[in-house]
Amino acid sequence: MALLKREEWQGFVRDVDWSYSYVDDSAVFPEWHCGTGKVPREAWSAWEEDYKVSYPEYVATQREKEASAYAVKSALQRSTTFDHLDEGWKSATKMHFGGVALVEYAAVLAELKMARFGLNGAWRNMATFGQLDELRHAQITTFFGHEFIGKDAQYDWTQKAFHTNDWVLISLRNLFDGMMIAPNVVDLAIELPLTFETGFTNLQFVALASDALESGDVNFANMISSIQTDEARHSQQGGPTLEILVEHDPVRAQWVIDKAFWGSARAFAALTGPAMDYYTPLEHRKQSYREFMEEWIIDQFVHTIEEYGLKKPWYWDEFMRGLDIWHHGLQMGLWYWRPTLWWRPKAGVSKDERAWLAEKYPNWEKVFGDKWDVLIDNVNANNLEATLPETLPWLCSTCHLPACNATQSRDGTWRVRDWSLQYDGRTYHFCTNGCRQIFWKDRDNVNHQTLIDRFLAGQIQPMDVGGILGYMGLTPDVMGDDPDYEAWTKDYVGRPVEGISLAAQS
Amino acid sequence: MANRSPRTQKTWSLLGDVRRKPSTYEVTAARFHYHFRKEPAPFELDPGMPLNLWYLKYREGSPFQVDDWEEFRDPYKLTYKDYVALQHDRETYLDLLIDTHEATSSVTRLDPAWVATLRELFVPLRFPLHVLQMTGLYVGQMAPSSFITNAAHFGAADEMRRVQRIAYWTKVLANAHGDELATTALARGAWENDPAWQPLRRACEQLLVTHDWGEAFAARNLAVKPALDALLNSQLADLARRNSDEFLALLFTEFGVDSQRSQDWSSALVRYALEHRPELREVLTGWLGAWQPRVVEATEPLAAIFATAPAAMATDDVIGAVREQHRAYLELCGL
Repeated sequence: MALLKREEWQGFVRDVDWSYSYVDDSAVFPEWHCGTGKVPREAWSAWEEDYKVSYPEYVATQREKEASAYAVKSALQRSTTFDHLDEGWKSATKMHFGGVALVEYAAVLAELKMARFGLNGAWRNMATFGQLDELRHAQITTFFGHEFIGKDAQYDWTQKAFHTNDWVLISLRNLFDGMMIAPNVVDLAIELPLTFETGFTNLQFVALASDALESGDVNFANMISSIQTDEARHSQQGGPTLEILVEHDPVRAQWVIDKAFWGSARAFAALTGPAMDYYTPLEHRKQSYREFMEEWIIDQFVHTIEEYGLKKPWYWDEFMRGLDIWHHGLQMGLWYWRPTLWWRPKAGVSKDERAWLAEKYPNWEKVFGDKWDVLIDNVNANNLEATLPETLPWLCSTCHLPACNATQSRDGTWRVRDWSLQYDGRTYHFCTNGCRQIFWKDRDNVNHQTLIDRFLAGQIQPMDVGGILGYMGLTPDVMGDDPDYEAWTKDYVGRPVEGISLAAQS
Repeated sequence: MANRSPRTQKTWSLLGDVRRKPSTYEVTAARFHYHFRKEPAPFELDPGMPLNLWYLKYREGSPFQVDDWEEFRDPYKLTYKDYVALQHDRETYLDLLIDTHEATSSVTRLDPAWVATLRELFVPLRFPLHVLQMTGLYVGQMAPSSFITNAAHFGAADEMRRVQRIAYWTKVLANAHGDELATTALARGAWENDPAWQPLRRACEQLLVTHDWGEAFAARNLAVKPALDALLNSQLADLARRNSDEFLALLFTEFGVDSQRSQDWSSALVRYALEHRPELREVLTGWLGAWQPRVVEATEPLAAIFATAPAAMATDDVIGAVREQHRAYLELCGL
């Protein structure tokens, strides 16, 4: 064992800044990459992480983790575990692989950016480990996804998804390019490691690891638990950065957190919400999405921001109301536009499942039940065509997800509302008031054509469902379909048909 | 609705109709930069926002360009898993080396005159080496293919490794030969003011403001780093050996393993580029034309310190050896 303790020498490793004399400091550290803003430059010298690590410690720990993660994999390769997994669970994993693998690689670029443009040597070193971690996550995720391609072509989207113009991917790229690659490193450290990694990845990783184990997918549980162990180290870049920013510019700190939290919440409502409340087999569900959000995100997030002297975001009430609505609306949208997905979305509305939903979400039947009844009756009348899309949904100009959030009017009815604004001679439409406000505040960066804008501008040809699916990169072997219509419609066979389905059948 | 294809797919469809199943190295890196040459702008944000323009200018717009970067392979084919395993072995070796020398207190037997040389030549090294870390990360951040990015950022982590071991040994030297060796004032003072370091500092500062990804790669991996590595990993190791400092000789020889890996992938990349577009030779030699004189100027005053060590090496011999190693490397690159 080396005689000196890490703390006796690590100071030198961090003490690597000096005053430039041959080039401008502003060229080495351009403000729009470094983002010091109102924070005096010297304030960054106080940046210090809690959890320190040396290079030899890092490679020793990581080598071991890698060896055990891949060892579980190869042990399970010889078993038939995969063949017995529930389709709904498989869909959750396909969605995860496609939605996450290359985001992890985008996070490599995020870490690289902090490792290059961070205004403190200690921060740059921490991010140098961080970029290695993110490479690990990208590689382990794609490796595991790749293993299943031979069994199911939808796993091809583990790597392909981010290259396509599928609407889910445009939304995710917009969120993550905006959160991980575009911001200056101060905003980045608060958006990614602090808001996203300490908050939302907990949800995705802890919740999905638990659901994976329940569903018997030891491989997946093992993979994401192993990934999660790295987050604790590199996610701490956010804390020291926020501490310094709050001291000098609390208004900016609040805005950066508010924006990142909102964007993450929208994306998770689309992906994690349906996976937890609809795809995971009923007998394996431990908590509802809402309960998980409350336990893992909301309590922790509120605790964190209050610790730094910040307030709950301005949109808090709208967000909290959305916990009962957003992901249910999105689940219906995902299922309805299922040919545009790279997984097989389960409807998940059999009588038992509906009873569970109604218990967890008291308004569920009122807001969503009648719409699902129409779909159910059409399936039972062998009129599948009526359950398939012929048109496109309106997509929100901020989150790029379908504008499908019902809100309750004063008279008690639930309606999907349009929030809009005028900018630069055009009307923009949003799914929520929060999305509209964020667009307005950040319009120079986030103003980007939605898939619908592209369609209306004639960029997608031919202008029909086939043309749209082609533009999105969907091929017939991948296009999603319900894995088992009977599973959730058989409870309702023979009941009297009402409303729209009746009209459709006559 | 979905017609399942009867043919079993071997790998990612984006790799085309490949006959053999690609290696894990390929599967976990191929086409990971989903934003490279994406239309109308790399990132899914306003096409005119600053970061899109930055990448369009310095990556897509770099003169160092071939039609397809995706076929480039790091000769070591390192995945993350391989990298940490490889470096864990190397670090275990360095831990043992340190243990051995600490057990015999070899540092206390160093000639004080040699310690004076180290004070001048060894202690300030963390500054330029941290620049290699930062600029290596930048090359990775801007590279057009993940096969390049990954090799570049393993290399950047290697620089952090080197800085950490140097930091450790600086403290060991200070404990044995006077606390002053461990002061920031001494290290940064020399780096900022000692005339011997100024040309290297100038080159490092210029490297930090080189934003074109091709030039950043050429300046760092073909000019500054190979010359500095030759000076440290071979010449300084040699000087240490002559001055009975076995530890430092072996330490820098060990760093030479990392430098060799850097040169192997960098030269493979240059050969790949020249094979695909021979006219890139002029682009690269153009950049080297600007950077080589800076590098020569940077190494000369440091080589002069070699002549002041108790068991000295002639300045011209050191310069000649560095130049020869650098020349041989560029020849390997096909330049």
